[in-house]
Parts: sequence; C-alpha cells; structure tokens
Amino acid sequence: MSDSVVAKETTRPKIDLVDHAVVLIIVCLVGLVMNTVGPAIPLMDGFMGMIVIYLISMVGLILTRFAPFYLPSVAWISLVGIVATLPWTPGSEWIVAQAKSVNFLALATPALAYAGFAIAKKEIEVAKHSGWKLAVVACLVFLGTYAGSVLVAEAILKLQGI
Amino acid sequence: MNALRGQMGLWKLHLAVIIIGAIAELIGIRKIPLGIGAILLLPLLYAFIMAALMNPNVMPKFGKFIGEKEVKAASPLIVIAIMPFIAKFGTTIGPAIETIIEAGPALLLQELGNLGTIVLAFPLAVWGLKMGREAIGATFSIAREPNLAIIADRYTLKSPEGAGVMGVYVIGTLFGTFIFAILASLFASIDVFDPRALAMACGIGSGSMMAACTGALTEVVPSMKDEILALAGASNLLTYATGLYAGLFIALPIVEKLYNATAGKRDLAAADNKGA
Repeated sequence: MSDSVVAKETTRPKIDLVDHAVVLIIVCLVGLVMNTVGPAIPLMDGFMGMIVIYLISMVGLILTRFAPFYLPSVAWISLVGIVATLPWTPGSEWIVAQAKSVNFLALATPALAYAGFAIAKKEIEVAKHSGWKLAVVACLVFLGTYAGSVLVAEAILKLQGI
Repeated sequence: MNALRGQMGLWKLHLAVIIIGAIAELIGIRKIPLGIGAILLLPLLYAFIMAALMNPNVMPKFGKFIGEKEVKAASPLIVIAIMPFIAKFGTTIGPAIETIIEAGPALLLQELGNLGTIVLAFPLAVWGLKMGREAIGATFSIAREPNLAIIADRYTLKSPEGAGVMGVYVIGTLFGTFIFAILASLFASIDVFDPRALAMACGIGSGSMMAACTGALTEVVPSMKDEILALAGASNLLTYATGLYAGLFIALPIVEKLYNATAGKRDLAAADNKGA
C-alpha cells in the first residue's frame, strides 16, 4: 500500500507551461509592487531582479516537465536558483546582484494573501470540529518539530566546533 | 492565451491581493516586547488576516467583493505565488555554498530533529488528553501535503487517523505562519542558541512557515541575514526531498508501534468490556 504514496508523489503531473508562464508573470508583477512598497527598493532594480527570479522559476518548471526523473517543481526551482548562483557558474555574480534587489519577505506577502482568500468552507468546519484538544496537540507538534531540529543542529555545530 | 483570459476574469482577486499586500507592506515589521523575548509581526501575517477577513467562508457578511469563484481560484495560485519566493531562496544558497557544506552534517542530521514532534506531542495527546487513534495522524509529522498523502493512503482521510492529520493540517494552514513567527522570535531573542541552528530548523517543508520563521530570525539577527536565508533554504529543500520518506518509513511506524504498545491495549480492553 505504501508504494502507492510514493508513486503518487513521484508521478509527473502534466504541467501546462504556457499557463504557468502567464500566471507567473502576474504573480511576479504583484510581487514587484510589494517589493517597491515595503522594502522601498527602486522599481527598476526590483524589476531586473524579478526578471531573473521569473526566469529561474520558468527553467525550474521546464525541468519539472521534461527532466528524465521527477522532482516537485519547488525542488527544481530551488536547484536552478542554487546552480545559477554558485561561485563557479559563469555570470553568477551578476545574477546574485540582481536577485539581491528582490526582498524575500515581500515575495511571501502576496502568497499569504492568496492563502487567506483560499480558505475553504471545509477547512473552517474541520477547524471547528477538531476541538481544543487537537489545537493544543498541533501547537506541540510545531514546537516539537522546531525545537527538535534546533537541538540536533546546535549539538552537531558544537561537536564540529564551527 | 486562455490562461490570460482566465486570470483577467479574476481581476478582483488579484486587485484585492495587491491592495491588501501593499497595506501590509506599509504597516511593515512590528516588534512586541515580551519579557525575556519579543514577538515579531510580519507583513505576510497581516496580509493573511486581511484576506481571510474578506473571505466569504470566514466572514459570510463581508462576502460581497470576493466570491466562491475567487476562493476556488486562489488555491492553485498559492502554489504559483510561492515559486518566485522559492527561486529567491535558491539564489541565497549558491553564494553561500561553502557555509552550507561546512554545516552539512548539522544540516542533514537536524532533519531527524523533526521527530521531536513525537517526543513532545504524542505523550500529551495519548496520555494527557486521552486521545484515540487520531493521535497517530496528528503527531507523526507537521501535517503538510506529503504527510496527508501518507495517511490518506494507509488509513484514508475519513478514519480517526485521517481526522487527526486533517485537524493539524488545517490548524497549520490557518495559524502555522503565526506559530512559526512566534517560535522563531522567542527562540532567537532568548539568545541561547546559535542563529545557524535556528535557521536550519526553519526549513520544515512549508514555504510560508519558512518565510515567517526566517523573517523573524533575520529581524533579530540582521547581521547574519545571508547565512540565515541560505541555511533555511537548504534545510527546506532537504525536507522536500526527505520529508515523505522520513514520514513513511520512520515517523509513522514509530508512532503506530508506540500507540499499539500503550494506548492500543486500552482500546482493546474497552472493546472487550463492551463485548462482555
């Protein structure tokens, strides 16, 4: 049975690249507004940075669609962003400089606004039915996950003495 | 150009996101001092609250401007809106590759720290709150999409285990960013832990929770901003790669065994009593 989860997670969904290209432009433009309003980065700098970010995202999506093995789009996009900015990649200094004009928190703001609009009736119902016990447990799940990782990371960094 | 026409039909949604987002950005980051630490409020939190207040499912009375059509369309847009954010994180990892390699062992092993949920949440759920098999679904992971898939596959989402994982999933969706902003602010402001360790722990396989977590951290330790982003981004990428398998082959089997060895006996006894 457990095989099918792995199968589900590793089967390649058909991404419509043209659709994604269009919607990504809209999302990047919305992000550019945030980048200009909040962190007050000059519009033209932010615009150049956003073009770089857009291209990284698109290359990631193209790889998600055509690469010989499947990885989720977010993983591909991360990898493209990493490879494009490695010190030994030609032109990486320019890419890093452009990407610096895009503030990461400004990009998260519209994503969370869409998330607020996406709350479905069913989710409200589940939250109401789950009751306070599950809410308390959820808080401990988050605390445990975070604190567990902090403690392990802290211990290993100490051991390594770095 | 069907996609373009489709998105034009959603102009209300995009306009609302721009206005809400701009207001949130103008309010900016605010700090609430709190005894030994401080809690940081981030624009992404205000944006989420304002959008939720305009959502007809949350506030039926206000549901004039945004309708059910926009709500349905917003869901797939979250995934696309998070892509530029993930791309930006990628560009912070490349230049810091030496830091990442140096911190490699910590980065890899802290993924196992995610099992801390079992240490902390499972005992409380089963022994403290006397929960039934919901506890299995609720406590084995932070209940993001891959974890939902695991439980859906093994037990279905209608089972008690499914109710558990769905409950935590929904609470995470509604409050996860707030919880992580608070956790990271408090851990960072007590000044006990290495900011690099706090950064690595931010990568838990959810873009928005990582945003809240790193946003709070970089405010408390602005001098380490680049390092924090790179380590959190690398850790998050690792979780994308390992999260499903860690949940499936490590966390869920542990929680099931623990449950069957302890509370499971209680359930059996209760069933016997009913039978007799």
